[in-house]
Amino acid sequence: MRVVVTGMGVLCSVAPDVPSFTDALREGRCGIVPMPDPGDGGPRLAAPVRDFCFSEAASAFEAGRVALRVAHRSPEPLQMDLVTAMQAFEDAGLHRSAPPADRLGLVVSGHNLSSGYVHDLHPKYEDNPAHLPARFALHFMDTDRVGTVSQVLGIKGEGYTVGGASASGNVGLVNGSRLVESGAVDACLVVGAMTDMSPMEKRGLATIGAVAGADTEDPEQAGCRPFDEHHEGFVAGQGAACVVLENEESARSRGARILAELAGYDLKLSGTSMPEPDEDGEARVMANAMTMAGIGPDDIDYVNAHATATPRGDEIEVLALRRALGQAFGKPWVNSTKGLVGHCMCAAGVVEAVATIIQMRHDFVHPNLNLNRPINYDCRFVPDTAQPARIGHALSNSFGFGGFNTSVVLRRADG
Amino acid sequence: MAFTMNEDEIFETVRRNVLKVLPELTPDEVTIDGTLSDLGANSIDRADVVTMTMEDLGMVIPVAEFQDVSDIRSLVDLLKKHS
Repeated sequence: MRVVVTGMGVLCSVAPDVPSFTDALREGRCGIVPMPDPGDGGPRLAAPVRDFCFSEAASAFEAGRVALRVAHRSPEPLQMDLVTAMQAFEDAGLHRSAPPADRLGLVVSGHNLSSGYVHDLHPKYEDNPAHLPARFALHFMDTDRVGTVSQVLGIKGEGYTVGGASASGNVGLVNGSRLVESGAVDACLVVGAMTDMSPMEKRGLATIGAVAGADTEDPEQAGCRPFDEHHEGFVAGQGAACVVLENEESARSRGARILAELAGYDLKLSGTSMPEPDEDGEARVMANAMTMAGIGPDDIDYVNAHATATPRGDEIEVLALRRALGQAFGKPWVNSTKGLVGHCMCAAGVVEAVATIIQMRHDFVHPNLNLNRPINYDCRFVPDTAQPARIGHALSNSFGFGGFNTSVVLRRADG
Repeated sequence: MAFTMNEDEIFETVRRNVLKVLPELTPDEVTIDGTLSDLGANSIDRADVVTMTMEDLGMVIPVAEFQDVSDIRSLVDLLKKHS
């Protein structure tokens, strides 16, 4: 049985929906901006979502009224997740014809999603614990995203959150695909959840040298530079995304438009608690994902790299790509969506799956930004402007602290 | 008349918070004789009205004491007792 993608939604620093994300990718629009000094030595760069208005965004959807009733007082990151879920749900035509409610699944990718919300309420708690809002008991839990999205969209099949640090998005795609493959559900929404980090967590990531532009007077100089010799770390981006994975038969019986096929994937641990990337693990999941898809390295036309712009991470990913692709290394285009929208943390894998499918459907590859001196001259990095490209198969990589190696293969719908 | 004034004040605070939690309501729909459930509030909405009102009025009432609250009037009475 084939698992296909029938709907997509996205909301990030450069775009509030899929059509504008398409334009932003083609133009190479960058959402990364300098931020006010947090005063704690933490990051000075970020890619924030701007001008988000939940009531306005929700009103575009059939489920908008229910969404407003259920989530009007929910934390904004949850509201953003919900908007992308409604986008994908309607894009898939599930508001018109859908499998029975208990045949619809929901996987929310992410963990530690609401630390910023908890942080913001801490003064109130310190002042008087009795005055914590009652809804805090719901909203501090990651699973609030599952409950709220399922209530608004009437999803009553299997559902849960899954986690894998920065690889969470792909971990969600793997689990969503398995739910469909196993027959547990006919269709499954996979939501890459907006990760609302607290200042303390951001500072913690700066402490171990993972972020660009921390504790500097000139954060713009640092920039986000995936695959460039001057890369020095990632920049956190706000983003949420959703894809609808569906049993091909279910999609065809509904007359749904098939956007792409999730043809293969793999997820392997490195057996480590450390943040270090693992060349062997990364190469292995790419190879296994291709095998599952029934293709070889020559069939890969494009790689959406994990490429957060940390020196060690970028370097190891290129080495792993060389190992996985062998003679074909240098053939597929390679770019980093994180150079445009920042690192959307737990949502990144889903945001980047959406970016990959968009490029596949519109026959281009988006630019790499700030790539002036590539760390490797054999790898076919997209230059600073979008290039026309016919993508039959793409790899999309996500790796996470704690040894999470993941790769997915997306196949063009008509090929 | 300080007693009535105070009760009105408490009711107005409750009403303001009910409208925050249930923005689809009009102020006239929230009456001292109504119940939060009848207005469409679920259990978390009701608890929210309580925590928000306690914060606004600067008071702390043990959770257990709300067990006997059945309508807006008994909520206002309980808040009044602690004011």
